Amino acid sequence: MSLFDIAFYFFALITVASAALVVFSRNIIYSAFALLFTFFGVAGLYALLGADFVAVAQLLIYVGGILVLLLFGVMLTTKLVSVDMKTGTLQALPATLLFAAVAGALSGVYIITDWNVLAGAPDAATTAVTIGDMFLTTWLLPFEIASVVLLVALVGAAMIARRDARSKPTQQAAL
Amino acid sequence: MLQHIIDSSHLFRPETALTATFCVVLLVDLFLRKRTSMPAYVAVLGLVVTGWFIAAQYGGAPATLFSNMLAVDPFSIFFKSLTLASTLVIVLFSLQSNELRDSKRMMGEYYALLVSLTLGMFLMAGATNLIMMYLSIELTSMSSYILSAFTKEADDSSEASLKYVIFGAVSSGLMLYGMSILYGLTGSLDIYGINRALIAGNVNNVTLLISVVLMTAGFGYKISAVPFHFWTPDVYEGAPLPVTAFLSVASKAAGFAMMMRFFKVTFIDAAVGGSYLGSWISVPGFEWNHLLAILAVLSMTIGNLIAVWQTNLKRLLAYSSIAHAGYLLLGVVVLSNEGYAAVLIYLAVYFFMNLGAFFAVMMVANKIGSEHIDDYKGLGYRSPLLGVCFTILLLSLTGIPPTAGFVGKLYLFSALLNAKWIWLAVVAALNSVISLYYYLRILRNMFLTQPDPAGAPIRFGAVQIVILLMFVIPTILLGVYFGPLVQYAQASITMFTNR
Repeated sequence: MSLFDIAFYFFALITVASAALVVFSRNIIYSAFALLFTFFGVAGLYALLGADFVAVAQLLIYVGGILVLLLFGVMLTTKLVSVDMKTGTLQALPATLLFAAVAGALSGVYIITDWNVLAGAPDAATTAVTIGDMFLTTWLLPFEIASVVLLVALVGAAMIARRDARSKPTQQAAL
Repeated sequence: MLQHIIDSSHLFRPETALTATFCVVLLVDLFLRKRTSMPAYVAVLGLVVTGWFIAAQYGGAPATLFSNMLAVDPFSIFFKSLTLASTLVIVLFSLQSNELRDSKRMMGEYYALLVSLTLGMFLMAGATNLIMMYLSIELTSMSSYILSAFTKEADDSSEASLKYVIFGAVSSGLMLYGMSILYGLTGSLDIYGINRALIAGNVNNVTLLISVVLMTAGFGYKISAVPFHFWTPDVYEGAPLPVTAFLSVASKAAGFAMMMRFFKVTFIDAAVGGSYLGSWISVPGFEWNHLLAILAVLSMTIGNLIAVWQTNLKRLLAYSSIAHAGYLLLGVVVLSNEGYAAVLIYLAVYFFMNLGAFFAVMMVANKIGSEHIDDYKGLGYRSPLLGVCFTILLLSLTGIPPTAGFVGKLYLFSALLNAKWIWLAVVAALNSVISLYYYLRILRNMFLTQPDPAGAPIRFGAVQIVILLMFVIPTILLGVYFGPLVQYAQASITMFTNR
């Protein structure tokens, strides 16, 4: 087992274990903190695959930005911290069967398939320059459309979260 | 590269105009708060400019833009025109809707999101790259989630939107997974590149099948085919009526556009076949159309059978739209130009009859405040004009001559029979009979039951009647004089090919 493999399994373990904690924890604070390790593990996997720019972006944006906001949001919403979330299981048997079928099929696929592996990883010192070039040439359109998607999401979030001045007082109390 | 981008941006004008309209509508709403109808007029202006740019694209040679991200060809121009027409109609609907008038304060965002939804559908109609396909689906879905939560004061609107978001997230996740497997198999994100890799062979067919099944989850969700339809009735019921009408026509059309382009370009060995009646040969060892045949049978049967039990008109139309997705899939199953042309004809016809039916339901809901089938009792006597118009639209949805719906079904069925899918044609015909039952139930309530003792005549404004006739007259006209539509559809199946 090479050093690469050890590092891979290390990060994979962190990612999967903390992701399980996010889902199974009954306390939303624990879930939010466990998410930190999930993001971190994924960043490690990116770095291992030679995607240094994506790894750094993952750390800066997800770990540094989004997660901190999420924690603030959770902690400032007093009701959420104390409340026990509903984590019951419904339809256990069909869910297990579906899970087994999907997991079996997908693992089978990964074993039997002869993947189209690109010859040799890019050995550039950093991928940031290439990514920057590509965003403004080949991938210009997706890059621009992604910004429209984000703008729409922002407008929508503002619209849904805004408290309507004319809405009924009973609903204001409920909020 | 720079020259290519400049050339591409000339052919990208309709989409650019929509993006600009989106921003301008938001700004107008910000600075001219007092004038609540202003955003609608600005949106209409932007849409007209977009239409002018699209009209300029007619007759041009098929091309791809921005390094094979987006195709501009007769096929995408057809769908852009259809989507744009629906958006214009929906703006008209929205100006007439009492439901929306009650939440006047947010109309700027409403029209802006209608425009961004249109932009998403334009991109869906042309996307030739997996990344572009995913982004355009996300743009469309994101805008529709927000629009269906628009009357958020109503409980069912928030619930509808939440269900929409959850189902949408799951199916776009599945679709992304399928795309990643397809990329892993072929080493290409460009659907022309994937096609070349598949024709060259050396691809594991089991893996390919799983990837296509996963991607079909994304397409099936957009066109609301069974078993990806669970969101449809709730969203259709909870969303404001103009939004429901828009989703039922334009969103379905855009989903079909993307799916038809993806399947035809990716999985057809285009070296074989070609003429108008000639059928296509799919890539060796992979018969994906059988998968879609199952989907079509399930959608038709389940959609129609559940529709029989519905008492809310919006839910009934939701299940009927699921069934129509099934009929439309038949044209994709047959693997021929004839089948694709039949889908385009049906979608154009569906535009008039389904939007008209939704508008009629909205007119009634504005007056009597209900969408329940029992409240339609005696409606034919309370407002004979609406009764007759609604009857024509419902008969057309069933597919009874001499309405346009009959022409749509005729071309679909003949494509099926020419391709020797006899059993599928039989199932589709049986389903049409089932659908007759629930459409006729509405007619029975309108005409054969006595009007309520308290049922005074209902009068509608002249504008609303004119809009309703805008749908009813083409529905009859296209039923008797459909030559131009058929020719237009047959000319519009040309897609950009890269060989």
